[in-house]
Amino acid sequence: MAKPDSLGQFEQLVLTAILTLREDAYGVTIHSKVQELARSKTVSLGAVYVTLDRLEHKGLVASWLSDPTPERGGRAKRCYRLEALGERALQESAVTAKRIWDVIAEVWGKEWAKEWGKRWGKEAG
Amino acid sequence: MHSGPSKTAEAIVAVLVPPARREEVLGDLQERYTSPRQYTLDALHTVPLVIISRMCRTADPQILLIQAFALYVSFLGAAWLRGGAVLSEPWGLLRLAIPAAMAMLGLILDDTYANPGRRSALSLARGPLLGLVLALASQEMFWISDPDLAIPRWIAFYGCAMSLLLSSAVRMLFPPVTGQLLGANAPALGLKQTGASRGGPQAIIRVLKGISAILAVAIVGTWMAERSVPPKAWIAVLLLVLLIAYQVSKRG
Repeated sequence: MAKPDSLGQFEQLVLTAILTLREDAYGVTIHSKVQELARSKTVSLGAVYVTLDRLEHKGLVASWLSDPTPERGGRAKRCYRLEALGERALQESAVTAKRIWDVIAEVWGKEWAKEWGKRWGKEAG
Repeated sequence: MHSGPSKTAEAIVAVLVPPARREEVLGDLQERYTSPRQYTLDALHTVPLVIISRMCRTADPQILLIQAFALYVSFLGAAWLRGGAVLSEPWGLLRLAIPAAMAMLGLILDDTYANPGRRSALSLARGPLLGLVLALASQEMFWISDPDLAIPRWIAFYGCAMSLLLSSAVRMLFPPVTGQLLGANAPALGLKQTGASRGGPQAIIRVLKGISAILAVAIVGTWMAERSVPPKAWIAVLLLVLLIAYQVSKRG
């Protein structure tokens, strides 16, 4: 079985967006979701396209053109879905992030971890 | 009420976005439209990145290197053929690289803007032709504005003709990757192609084709430089490599 390449932070965000959007994952919705996930950072639509292109080239996502819709001036959407390789890459990234979190929490103490946990809880509303 | 971008703005964006990505990019920009200013800013932030991304997907660094070599050798050969005076002039070698670089840009732009749906026998020659036009246009600009940077007209013409021939030959040996499928099956296909290019007979054929192309360029370059028939040994080696490539491809 092919081993997925390690993902960059922005690639992780784009893959997470596709995972959450499921059937409705295309340029505009992926961009909105990535913007939401990136919080304070401004994300351009072009950066999302570049990353989607790269992920498709790596075989982590698949794309297809949907039927044209009137609100888009009769133009089709390019929809995306995660491939098995993409799911595996995202899982590995999540596990690595968890491992990093655990080690940092262990070194900097449980109080620090609690404080950050609260901050993230507030940010997420 | 019309609540979309103006036809002119949309037409400009449509021309700039490579055909392979035009449909979805125009649709997405239209969906996000709120005002002409926002559309312009959105397009400015999106279109250059889409073009660069498409360039990265269609350009193969190994083939580009072979093309660059072939193009430069064309102009170098043309300079030798015309007496070689330009080579001893200040920045002579660098001046020869300008039309070669412009011809290279033509090839890259052609691959970037190629329509994956439309393929014809003429499409292989379109890139070299565009490169030739850009190389001659750049020289024309220099002849008018700054003749010190230009190369003599006959070297430019000979070099362009030679580069057209050589880069077309290299493109026939290594067809551009613009015909890759874009759809649900694309990643699987992409993986198969990547896997195939990493080992096995495909990799050998690729290397042999590369050697053949370089040998062909070297033979033509020698012929142009010395104005004599190339050594028989070179031609024999080229034929031998081509024969091996053919045999490997037949068995692979």
